Amino acid sequence: MTDTTSTPVINLHDLQKRFGIGDAEIFALNGINLSIEKGEFVAIMGPSGCGKTTLLNIIGLLDQSYDGEYELDGQSVATISKRKRARIRSKQIGFVFQSFNLINRLSVIDNVALPLIYKGVTKTKRLVIASDILRNFHLNEREYYMPHQLSGGQTQRVAIARALVNDPSIILADEPTGNLDSRSSHIIMEELSDLHKRGNTIIMVTHNPRLTTYASRVITMLDGQIDTDTKTNNVNDVKSTPHIEEHKSAQSIKRKKKFFSRIKTRRRKK
Amino acid sequence: MRFLLLNHIQNAKQSLKSSRVRSTLTMLGITIGVASITAILALSGGASKVITNQIDALGGNIAVIRPGITSSTVDNVTQAQPSRDYATSTLTEKDITYITNTPHIQSVAPLMVLSGVIKADSTAPEGSLIVATTPELETISGLKMREGQFLDSTVDKNTVAVGLQLSINVFGTESSIGKLLYIKGEPFTVIGVLKRINNPINYNSVDFDNAAIINFESGKSLNQNVAQIQQIDVKADSVENLEQAVNDINKTIKSSHKGEKDFSVLVGEQIAQPTSQLFFMIAKVTTAVAAISLIVGGIGIMNIMLVTVAERTREIGIRKALGASNTDISCQFLIESLAISLGGCISGYLLGYIVAIAISKFLIFYPVFTWQIALTALIVSLTTGILFGLYPALSAARKDPIESLHRYE
Ligand SMILES: Nc1ncnc2c1ncn2[C@@H]1O[C@H](COP(=O)(O)OP(=O)(O)OP(=O)(O)O)[C@@H](O)[C@H]1O
Ligand SMILES: [Mg+2]
Repeated sequence: MTDTTSTPVINLHDLQKRFGIGDAEIFALNGINLSIEKGEFVAIMGPSGCGKTTLLNIIGLLDQSYDGEYELDGQSVATISKRKRARIRSKQIGFVFQSFNLINRLSVIDNVALPLIYKGVTKTKRLVIASDILRNFHLNEREYYMPHQLSGGQTQRVAIARALVNDPSIILADEPTGNLDSRSSHIIMEELSDLHKRGNTIIMVTHNPRLTTYASRVITMLDGQIDTDTKTNNVNDVKSTPHIEEHKSAQSIKRKKKFFSRIKTRRRKK
Repeated sequence: MRFLLLNHIQNAKQSLKSSRVRSTLTMLGITIGVASITAILALSGGASKVITNQIDALGGNIAVIRPGITSSTVDNVTQAQPSRDYATSTLTEKDITYITNTPHIQSVAPLMVLSGVIKADSTAPEGSLIVATTPELETISGLKMREGQFLDSTVDKNTVAVGLQLSINVFGTESSIGKLLYIKGEPFTVIGVLKRINNPINYNSVDFDNAAIINFESGKSLNQNVAQIQQIDVKADSVENLEQAVNDINKTIKSSHKGEKDFSVLVGEQIAQPTSQLFFMIAKVTTAVAAISLIVGGIGIMNIMLVTVAERTREIGIRKALGASNTDISCQFLIESLAISLGGCISGYLLGYIVAIAISKFLIFYPVFTWQIALTALIVSLTTGILFGLYPALSAARKDPIESLHRYE
């Protein structure tokens, strides 16, 4: 379809999203043109209310009411049936919500195993896989806790574990480190970075400019439009082990990445 | 898909457990409905069985002709019993002659049940019956004499055979041969006393222990010379010939009734419909109770499921975002409402038998256990569950994921 040799995983053309009607009408997204190749690690930044979550919802096939064109793997999303979209969400997409969205009446491990249900994995297998991934996030002692018994940071880690349990090829993470201290943040980022190295596509919203060093591309948004779009030198093959070391000294990062100073980092609204 | 179903079931179990009181209360309607159905089917089955056993004991070559059309299924318990309520019977004396002349018919006994005062030393209590019939009834219905003889065409017309209980009630003694019994004012000489049968439920709908049995002709003269025939019992010469005889009777009576089928010829199980009036009243009331409680129970399920769906709006959004299709979501909620109705089914089935056994302590028969009753209970409750669970389940599946995710946050 496109002139390049490989079709982009995600291709957005003049994407618009309106809320409300008449005088109350606002454009949450106002003409987004974006093409994301397989294996990219995209960090999206921007002030609160600029439309980041809205964009992720559309990319994640949760929101169907938009104007413009969205092609996933070269296929126009508008032509995909509801059932098929559910299938894609189940098999290809991992979602980390800004507000965690754990199911309160299910235990931690059941929450993490939830996406596997719709993939048709048996119960015993589900629990093994979920348990494995929880260990990665140092939560294996909290498996049978209920969500309300977790700290904010633990809840967030559970939400991330849940998004990754299906081994999705596209990971959409809305502020995955919003509630975490820098050490825990880096654990999460290492995990994402690892997935990135294995060829998965990651789109992450963050307010923390330090974390964008993990990304291969940084996009800033403003009022429903893409403001800047910068590729970093951090592409897949580049050795990127010394991340933790680098990020421990936050000051040096700030000096290095000057363009972040343009963005006011605002904490997430509660 | 199989794993998904299993998961839905585990999920339903968990969710019902977490709101145990609510689920139990919701089940109650279904429980009562299923209990009523189970009890009435078990008891009517028991009653039918008593009669079927009687017919089998009599050799299985009995047919019964009743006025009006009777449904031929045993389990149609709501069917009103067509015997004594009939203003005028459609069966005539001519029919008796036709039937008597039908090949393979060995004996014929018309039954005419009259109401009226039976009196001797004391008046017979209510529930005592005057039955006018022919001597053949003795062999057809297998009546046994304790003393004296049954009706006989050779003896005087104004003679009566009495049931043992009636004899005790009006004469104060079990041996009342030769005494005078006044029926509707007319004097009748007692020529025989029946053995105690102790079985008010039989295919003649007559409690012979409490009956005064007189000749058909005498009965007619007590009834303004009108033959009011409630039932004609016939006996074929063998079981094999019964069907042929029944067909012949059907044909001849139909043609003599100018082609109108205003009678039924019943054989075997068809005869065995429960016959007591009280029984039918109870059956009607119970069926009404069952229907109402099932509807109320169903609405209860719908209500609870709508509440559950509303409570879990966010969960629905999350599940959809994580890959659940609309079908997955509606299955989840449908199975939950099915689980409620199944719970109601099981407890209702058990309760139904407890009630049936308790009631049968006052009756002369026992409730039957058949797989049909269990199946009926299951089908009725699951149908209710699906019917009333469908709307909430579909409305859950229709929810928009984004809107759902923003709920309660
Ligand atoms: N359901 C809705 N109805 C009306 N307006 C909405 C709705 N959802 C979002 N908006 C508006 O769309 C705009 C973009 O919202 P969005 O959630 O995408 O912001 P965001 O970039 O994720 O912000 P934040 O960083 O605070 O999470 C906001 O102005 C918001 O008010
Ligand atoms: Mg947001």
